[in-house]
Amino acid sequence: MTSFQSTLGEEEGGGIAEELAEGQRAISIAEFFEKNKHMLGFDSGARGLVTAVKEAVDNALDATEEAGIKPDISIEIRESGDYYTLIVEDNGPGITREQIPKVFGKLLYGSRFHAREQSRGQQGIGISAAVLYSQLTSGKPAKITSRTQRSETAQYFELIIDTDTNEPEIQVDEERAPGESDLSPTHGTRIEMEMEANMRARQQLHDYVKHTAVVNPHARLVLNEPGLDEPRHYERVEGADLPAETEEIRPHPHGVELGTLIKMLGATESYSVSGFLQEEFTRVGAKTAEKVLNNFRDRHFGREMGWAAPRDPETSLEDAIDDAVANKGAEATATFAARVADTLTSRERTTHAELTDIVDTVADDVGEEFGATFGSTVRENAVEAAWDVLTSDLEADLYPLVDDATSTRKDDATVSGLADRLADKFDSGGDPRHRATYAGLRDYVDRSADRLVSEDVSFGDTARENVVDAVWTAMRTVPDEVPKVRAIADDRDVASELLEAMRETDILAPPTNCLSPITAELVEAGLKKEFDADFYAAATRDAEVHGGDPFIVEAGIAYGGELQDGTVDLLRFANRVPLVYQRGACATTDVVKTIGWRNYGLDQPGGSGMPNGPAVIMIHVASTNVPFTSESKDAIANIPEIEDEIELAIREAARDLKSYLNKRRSMQKRRKKQDVLGRILPEMADKLSEVTGRPRPNIDGALARIMNNVSVEREVDGDTVTLVVENHSDRTEEPEITDILSAEPSDLPEDASVVDLDGEWFVSWEPSVPAGESVELTYTVSGDASFDVDVDGVENEKLTINA
Amino acid sequence: MSTKQDDELAQERLVDLAAEFYDQFAAGEVPHMDIPTRTKSNIVFDEDSNVWVYGDRTSTRTANSVRGARKLLKASYTIEFLVNQLEEDRSSTLRELYYLSESWDNEEAQFKSQDESNQLVEDLEIVSEVTREDFHMRPEESGATLMGPLELREQTRRGEREIHCQKDVGEGGYQIPNNPDTIDFLDHDIDFVLCVETGGMRDRLVENGFDDEYNCLVVHLKGQPARATRRITKRLHDELDLPVVVFTDGDPWSYRIYGSVAYGSIKSAHLSEYLATPEARFVGIQPEDIVEYDLPTDPLADSDINALESELEDPRFQSDYWTEQIELQLDLEKKAEQQALAARGLDFVTETYLPERLSSMGVL
Repeated sequence: MTSFQSTLGEEEGGGIAEELAEGQRAISIAEFFEKNKHMLGFDSGARGLVTAVKEAVDNALDATEEAGIKPDISIEIRESGDYYTLIVEDNGPGITREQIPKVFGKLLYGSRFHAREQSRGQQGIGISAAVLYSQLTSGKPAKITSRTQRSETAQYFELIIDTDTNEPEIQVDEERAPGESDLSPTHGTRIEMEMEANMRARQQLHDYVKHTAVVNPHARLVLNEPGLDEPRHYERVEGADLPAETEEIRPHPHGVELGTLIKMLGATESYSVSGFLQEEFTRVGAKTAEKVLNNFRDRHFGREMGWAAPRDPETSLEDAIDDAVANKGAEATATFAARVADTLTSRERTTHAELTDIVDTVADDVGEEFGATFGSTVRENAVEAAWDVLTSDLEADLYPLVDDATSTRKDDATVSGLADRLADKFDSGGDPRHRATYAGLRDYVDRSADRLVSEDVSFGDTARENVVDAVWTAMRTVPDEVPKVRAIADDRDVASELLEAMRETDILAPPTNCLSPITAELVEAGLKKEFDADFYAAATRDAEVHGGDPFIVEAGIAYGGELQDGTVDLLRFANRVPLVYQRGACATTDVVKTIGWRNYGLDQPGGSGMPNGPAVIMIHVASTNVPFTSESKDAIANIPEIEDEIELAIREAARDLKSYLNKRRSMQKRRKKQDVLGRILPEMADKLSEVTGRPRPNIDGALARIMNNVSVEREVDGDTVTLVVENHSDRTEEPEITDILSAEPSDLPEDASVVDLDGEWFVSWEPSVPAGESVELTYTVSGDASFDVDVDGVENEKLTINA
Repeated sequence: MSTKQDDELAQERLVDLAAEFYDQFAAGEVPHMDIPTRTKSNIVFDEDSNVWVYGDRTSTRTANSVRGARKLLKASYTIEFLVNQLEEDRSSTLRELYYLSESWDNEEAQFKSQDESNQLVEDLEIVSEVTREDFHMRPEESGATLMGPLELREQTRRGEREIHCQKDVGEGGYQIPNNPDTIDFLDHDIDFVLCVETGGMRDRLVENGFDDEYNCLVVHLKGQPARATRRITKRLHDELDLPVVVFTDGDPWSYRIYGSVAYGSIKSAHLSEYLATPEARFVGIQPEDIVEYDLPTDPLADSDINALESELEDPRFQSDYWTEQIELQLDLEKKAEQQALAARGLDFVTETYLPERLSSMGVL
């Protein structure tokens, strides 16, 4: 049969395989993306243009910031026949002649991929993908000009990507004097790409640039495209510094995967695992490394179970040891046996490793005292003899553990039945030292319990787990040397044990200096710069960790003013890059929808979903590794830790919004009340004067009182002027009053001051008026003086001025 | 008709009230008006007059709120209207006041409902201590009537009329005018006054000649009695020294009718002294009559039960008699109408029920 089959394989099966093999060849990464443009965000002409802008601008921002230069970036889109030309120019440090072709003409070439540091780009795909897209659609090369800071001349390249080899193909390579080059700044990079595109995504393009301006208040951007009458400028916020420099961090033990770990094990220069952990990972010192190693030992070697010395005087530990030692002198032997026996008896339980250690210590001590030498054979014999005694009744030791771990409903027979069977498993487990891993122990308990169950005794999962945990806790980590780095690197299973040990150990969260949040202050400034609203709030959370990568969430809200009413606008950012597409698939959107916005004063139809109102909500997630739902980096994945932080950040900002809206509402109500009463009460006063036949009464005092107002009133009696401030509100008010006079006043009290400005005298007075009380300012001025009073420090709605 | 003196007093009081608001404004105070709280928790029994009057709790109408300010604005407009009305010696009905406010130049001052204008007039009555009759404000005719051996003289706008309430009137009886103080009692042959809730029962008594046979003045209350009806009842009792009894349905709402005749109503407790007849006694239908005469009944609705329970807490009904009757009715879970007596024959009420009840009460 075998031979027949092989013949058949040679004649026919082999033929097919060869035939297939002819068609099989490696595909270059460039070729792959040529077919899968959509994965990188180049799925349509409209979107391709936006993505190309985005990639070029992200690159420009990263380059300038890294060089400590405040970014000045111009984006220009020109119509050129059936195509569009995109030109992005920055004032960055420039790129050296050797690097230019690789940076722009080779996919997956970049400085970022291996760094654990917050940055916009990561894979080194973006800009070269844009180059690829332009060459595929227009057939024209990308034109790159770059001039480094110290260079006298600029480098000019025209290049395309060879999709077969993923290598740049340089068509023009020249050095150009500053005068001839198109690059306007004295240093920086300019890229020009012609591509098939359309401007249907103009709104997204504008959003992208505007949103970029919001989160990069330190950058100046200029956008010009055919639809604009003149270039649109996005100015820098005055005083906005470059983002804090981030530091690259080593990976966190909780954030690596098995493949990465094996690769790191292979590459490290460390010899020991402890050294490897401390060298290659962040937040691992000697202590943490030891914790990881112990967890690793438990997984790799298993723990040892320890047993108590028998209380039963008939099985004498001392005698057994005594018997096992030969030729060491009666006294020395007796002392040795007695001391070992004493030590063991005083211990709750002793493992094989601990026993060996005790025997060694006592043997050394006694040997020294009696001038005898306890050789290794003697020691081994003693250990063996003592171990035999310790392990003579395992069930007696296991019984209390099982009893404590199980519920009181388990009767004595069940408990002792399980303890008995478990003891058998240790005995027959194949390791005389009674070692077992957690999984092995679980197996012991399962098998023991299954036996009980087969005898119609119930022993469920919870009870089993409890017993396993109780016994595992009683077991001790062994002191064995862990395998060396080299050995682990070669053995996938052992490496996986190490990885589990790393994940299980509690380790401090990674440091956060690898992140650069925008900061609440600049989020607010950025929003103020780009949105004309009445109110702004922002919040920056503390750093948190997901899967070993630290992250920070920031939120900002703008409300009112010129903002459009309707569904609230949500601006999403990851590492300072605006996310323009796939809003619905983004974790930020999900979180915003789950928040009860009515609590915060925004309308929300049905109590969930996107809120309504003239508002903009922005969310920024900064991380060394932002988890996106896809390669095109449009939407943040739903990671619970990140979602929690997003929610907290939004709520923090929303609380400010709420108090603003509440205050605004109460002011509106007050204004409305003032309007209505301001109409009704004079009419009432008129009617009363008609009925009583008296002149119309002055109702200002009553009005001020009703509105809990602060009233400022002037009484003039000849040359004496008195300003009376009455506070009808329920708290102390501190109005800042400036009385502007056309003549010089005199007899001013001490708490008021006067300044002469070109024939006008400014009297300032800042009294503190407790609730319900009034204060007066009296001075003298010539009778024909004119007055003009100005009051600050009290909200307009609360102020009644009659002076 | 009220006298010239009364008119002047009323006018003066109204202007005083306006002046009070004026002075409050001038003093920089918030204009306000304190009036007794008009709820059942704020009525107290007045030992001197034996009627229920308002207690010490007051509510303040103040211009501090938009609502309060509107009320006071309306009050100012209404004061002006009333003062002018008195000046010109005209009168108007409450309903006319409501519609009339539509003509005021100020929309804020116009009334939104007649309840609002009625309440405002009551407020002004209380604060000025002048009755609305003296403001020349009258309700719509309630249509309540008298029938019995009574001769009286009424001052009408068209001169004095002398009327005998049996001989000079038709089957419908003598219609009580809006201001019964314009009536002088001349002569009578009445033994007792019987106030009847429903028109059907009044007609039955008249048809059966009950007024003639027992020398009884039948007063038709027409549901919750109007002020005029209560006022004339009180005058009949006080001036002619006649016993007054009240005959209504056997349900919680009817007990309140009795309550307002005897003790005064909660809404007009400020006038109790002038309107209430504390000596008036309740004939029935009593809950115990339902059992005793085995009357056809209806089950109590939820609202009836609530009303009964609320009456248990009403200070006006805090007597042993009423507590017992109301608790009995709550046990029975039944109510009966006056007409239920017809189940025992049309003459049963005049021949058996009333004579039995009235003799046991010592009226006959």
